[in-house]
Amino acid sequence: MELPVELKQIIAFTKRDFFSWTTYRALMITQVVNIFIGVFSWGVGAAYVQRPVSEMYGSDYISFLLVGIAVGNLIMPLAQGFQALNPWTLETILMTGISTTVFVIGNVMWTYIFSIVTFIPYLIIGISFFHVKLNVNVPSTIVAFTVSAAILVGLAMISTGLRIVTKSTDPITWAINVLQNLFAGIAFPVIYLDTIFFPGASTISWFLPQTWVYHLCRLSMLTNPSLLDPSILIQFLEGSVFAVILLPVGYKVFQWGLNRSKREGTLGWY
Amino acid sequence: MTAEYAIETVDLVKRYPTSARRGRGWGFYGGQVTTFGGVLSIFRGIRGPFVEALRGVNLRVENGQIFGVLGPNGAGKTTLIKILCTLVIHDEGEAYVNGLDVRKKPIEVLKNLQAVLPESRGFNWRLTGRENLEFYASLYGLRDKEAKERIDYLLDFTGLTDRANDGYQRYSSGMQRKLLLCRALLRSTPIMLFDEPTVGLDPASAEEFRTLLHDRLARKEKKTILLSTHNLYEAQDMCDRIAILDRGKIVACDTPDNIRYTMFDEKVFEVTFIDAIYGDEHERMVDELEKMPGVHGVTPDVDPERNFIGISIRVNKSMDLSDILDVITKTGLKIRMINTEEPTLEDAFMAITGHPERRRTWGA
Repeated sequence: MELPVELKQIIAFTKRDFFSWTTYRALMITQVVNIFIGVFSWGVGAAYVQRPVSEMYGSDYISFLLVGIAVGNLIMPLAQGFQALNPWTLETILMTGISTTVFVIGNVMWTYIFSIVTFIPYLIIGISFFHVKLNVNVPSTIVAFTVSAAILVGLAMISTGLRIVTKSTDPITWAINVLQNLFAGIAFPVIYLDTIFFPGASTISWFLPQTWVYHLCRLSMLTNPSLLDPSILIQFLEGSVFAVILLPVGYKVFQWGLNRSKREGTLGWY
Repeated sequence: MTAEYAIETVDLVKRYPTSARRGRGWGFYGGQVTTFGGVLSIFRGIRGPFVEALRGVNLRVENGQIFGVLGPNGAGKTTLIKILCTLVIHDEGEAYVNGLDVRKKPIEVLKNLQAVLPESRGFNWRLTGRENLEFYASLYGLRDKEAKERIDYLLDFTGLTDRANDGYQRYSSGMQRKLLLCRALLRSTPIMLFDEPTVGLDPASAEEFRTLLHDRLARKEKKTILLSTHNLYEAQDMCDRIAILDRGKIVACDTPDNIRYTMFDEKVFEVTFIDAIYGDEHERMVDELEKMPGVHGVTPDVDPERNFIGISIRVNKSMDLSDILDVITKTGLKIRMINTEEPTLEDAFMAITGHPERRRTWGA
């Protein structure tokens, strides 16, 4: 029995990117080395801090940070998958008549898989050398990753739709990335913002989709949450709202960018 | 679905916004958004000033034809092809592929038509030729067995089988062009578009590619082919019909022969003589010929030793040449050879697109 055509198309994209990646041997080696150097450098830095992060996750700082860094590694490549998109390839691929969804998922799948592969040594090194304590709930982790992927694909489609028009960086993704560093809680729990800035400052964070990506992943990997617990379920549903909004908005923005570029005749331009 | 025409356009208009504003500090400089105004400009509609790439193009291509679109740079050839293959959206008019509206049914259109665009390579340079084709076969939705058979057939068809497992970056320009053709043929569509199919190829590769298009794709596989080209020899040699596009308008559309002949009111008639010395009687003959109705000009070919080599006469294209021969032979001149110089497609093209003076004075 053959796989569905759409799945085969996504696999084709992934295979193409994987084979292409394996031909860049120097890049391949440096990326793998970066995984180890990255986790050690963050780990050593965090080991000196070793603050408790009891407010949100009941965890030590190194565990909190490691999960955050690992999740961050999942986020960034999704945008990078589109940044590498060659406009010449874009024209040719669009002439095959594939659907927008397949096109978008196909283009980020390899980078996403690579990110997950990167995630594993982070955890192994963190647990083995820095005594990271994970308290994972597998079903909620799977749901967290699924919701995160949906949010990130939505953002990636917005980013690509705009980038097809601007031929450069897009202002929305740029703004979100800048805000992410401050508000999404990569290196500290967002609740600290209330202490650093003013009471209630952390409210801003919850309007950023990335905050939910980090939060849901940390929640599911550090606190062993049950999805049957209503308070946990509500948090997952709140995060899912972003996915439900961002996916169709992303699709619309992507289509808008594509049509705008076709009307202007700039689809194949850099 | 059967349609009367493989390709049909009706009053097709395409305007492109010029990039003049972007260089004037409006916040959209060099394609980068630098100000809030630049951000807003993304969301506004397309703004002028515009350049009209196509200005009411009407075209009909019948099934099975090889149809050439000729035109100088900037005439709108690539725009026309990109509209047909759904990569550019037109502003006014209609365009149909096998009766399907390209704007309303782009996915169905792409099942009827594939294009080979030289600038849109779309291949991954790090993969082999076969791996690149396998990737596109998946995107076209071909089944595994069908894809393998099709790829093997196309690699053989284009003579690339021996190099199929070499990296694409090792391919010559000719091989890259052939791989483009393979990709376009993966989904066997009845209509093929080629934008400058032989540009950048050496003469032997270009001839091989032309043969592939003409003999195998058009005549053997009965595909409709629309190609744009600067190469007038290519158009005259391959095309059943051609359209000459100039500044966004079709200024001539017919068979290559009809375009050649209908463009000119006259033909050039050349007579070469045997061992003749140019004398007074020949001067009188030239005067007599010039006075004949239908003769536009007479040019004797006399060398410095007064040898009368031949004579060149521009006449109405429908003129009876026997009257001219009577005038010549009664002077006792012996004729070695008679030639009628044919106008070429290049003559017609030049006359139509940029040199209107050649419309009447071709061959002078």
